[in-house]
Amino acid sequence: MASNKVRTFLTLLGIIIGVTSIMIVFSAGQAVNGLLNSQISSFGTNIVETEVKVPTDKKKSGTSGEISSAVSLSMGTQITTLTLADMDKIDQLDNVIDSYGAILGQNQITFADQRKTITLFGANASFINIDQSKIAEGRFFTDAEDRSLAKVAVIGSKVKTALFGDSDAVGAQVKIGNLKYEVIGVMKERGAAGAGLDFDSYVYLPIRTLQKRVLGINYVLYLVSQLKDPEQSDATAQAITGLLRDSHHITPDIDPATGQATTNKDDFRITTMQEMIKTLSTVTNAMTILLLAIVAISLIVGGVGIMNIMYVIVSERTAEIGLRKAVGARYADIMGQFLTESVLVTFVATIIGVILGVLVSWLISVGATSQGIDWQFGLPFYSFIVAIAFSLLCGIAFGLMPARKAARLDPIVALRNE
Amino acid sequence: MLIEVKNLVKEYRNEDVITSVLRGLNFEIKKGEFVSIMGPSGSGKSTLMHILGLLDRPTSGVYKFDGRNTENLDDNELAMMRNEKIGFVFQAFNLLPRTNVLENVKLPLLYSKKKIDAETRAKKVLESVGLGHRLEYFTNQISGGEKQRVAIARALVNEPEIIFADEPTGNLDSKSGIQVMEIFQKLNDAGHTIILVTHETATAEYADRIIKIRDGEIVGDEKVHNKRRGDGNGQLK
Repeated sequence: MASNKVRTFLTLLGIIIGVTSIMIVFSAGQAVNGLLNSQISSFGTNIVETEVKVPTDKKKSGTSGEISSAVSLSMGTQITTLTLADMDKIDQLDNVIDSYGAILGQNQITFADQRKTITLFGANASFINIDQSKIAEGRFFTDAEDRSLAKVAVIGSKVKTALFGDSDAVGAQVKIGNLKYEVIGVMKERGAAGAGLDFDSYVYLPIRTLQKRVLGINYVLYLVSQLKDPEQSDATAQAITGLLRDSHHITPDIDPATGQATTNKDDFRITTMQEMIKTLSTVTNAMTILLLAIVAISLIVGGVGIMNIMYVIVSERTAEIGLRKAVGARYADIMGQFLTESVLVTFVATIIGVILGVLVSWLISVGATSQGIDWQFGLPFYSFIVAIAFSLLCGIAFGLMPARKAARLDPIVALRNE
Repeated sequence: MLIEVKNLVKEYRNEDVITSVLRGLNFEIKKGEFVSIMGPSGSGKSTLMHILGLLDRPTSGVYKFDGRNTENLDDNELAMMRNEKIGFVFQAFNLLPRTNVLENVKLPLLYSKKKIDAETRAKKVLESVGLGHRLEYFTNQISGGEKQRVAIARALVNEPEIIFADEPTGNLDSKSGIQVMEIFQKLNDAGHTIILVTHETATAEYADRIIKIRDGEIVGDEKVHNKRRGDGNGQLK
């Protein structure tokens, strides 16, 4: 093996690339999972979200229903049935600590001579406790201010920069629509939180202020409830469903196949974060497994390379094998010698592959992080085990046939081969 | 009796054509003998050596080695007997390339069940063939005569009952050839049984007895009257 370094290296390359790819896939799988989880966690994991949905006439629920609901909403259909009264009922549930309702609106904000169109985010005072958002300066509004339709506003960090630059925002008077509001706080920068929501460029108003003074409505877009026990989120979602069907006077259709109530008549949809995390990690795990399967094929191709070179080596060393047999080597001795060699060679390639894989994975994470992506470098311990075990298995499997050929050589024929 | 051969036949079958290589040989060789098997190429002498050396099996007939019938031994048992009781020296030396002299000589001990210190034993045998100063040399760094002496040391390292030498001087110049034959004679004087396979009368006459083979049959089996001897310096006396 050592005598022909270039040839050996080229043979090893197949295994090296295969193992390197395995390590990269494992690391990427973990990083993507972490990325998605941290995005979801930015909303909080112990919450249940209830949002409005357009009921469908069709009997079936699920994807097509949700798509048609989204289409209807985007075409201007307003569902006005979800209210703060519903929220108060949900708050009575045992597993619910607290909830907030939210609604979005758009209007113009004016400060000094600056005028901007911004998104108004109306929420209950409990928003600041339930959501991951933090106050940077000043304070958030109170429940009393909400109920009294106080003209107070908390602004996102980007709004602060745009309107006030480095000067103080807390205490300033801004005009939203035609009314003057006092800025009482600035939110801490939060960064993009997925789903295209940019919390940093919102202006936060007490929800009733926004409903009554700006929009002239009394419904909400969605409710977010914080749970005592996230493990019970499915049961809580069920309870909320029952409660809302009751208050919205909905009698659900029964699916004749399963005997279960369907969600198509519902004018709301409930999502638990547990469920989302589960779904997403199922997807990323499936992707990882698919990629690993593809990579495993490349390792098998590498193994075929090893088999090829072992056959070459056996035929090059026919005379040596003959001699070893003449001086007393048994079948198992020769078999063992060549198997050891192919496993050893594969092992060296595996180690190089593992080191390269770790290095490349680390470089990817460094590169991604420098681009502002939250890509954590990490490799699960089992990835090393899988990579090493699988490639050694290749070494044994593909070394077996050449080693058998060597062990079966007739010593006389082998000796003549000088 | 170390070797007993009765009606030994070897045939090769290629499709429906049968080629007889050995046609019913009978002879015996005692412990301590130095015998040459001589014949022209194609006479069957190499095939005979392979069978006697347990590298090959006869088609029919009886071969008893050291009182034991070899017919029912399986491949692993044959390998063990080759390892413990037989030493081979080949025309082409058959040393391992890219391996030093000492490691080459230690090779049979690798497959041995005897508990001996391989290093010490191999060094001792190499000294006895005059190569104590070449232990660390690689096999491509020494002369042909030295190579064959390494091969002899390898054959001796496991203290075999018998040594088979197949045209051991065939690839050597005459001086080295004589030196190698002197070693065989010394080994024989020390009690080793040696079977030499050759096509040259001159080489065959270093032995005490010559079995002549032609076309797979024994055509002569006689004592050597004017045994050749070297003078200890690679010249004939």
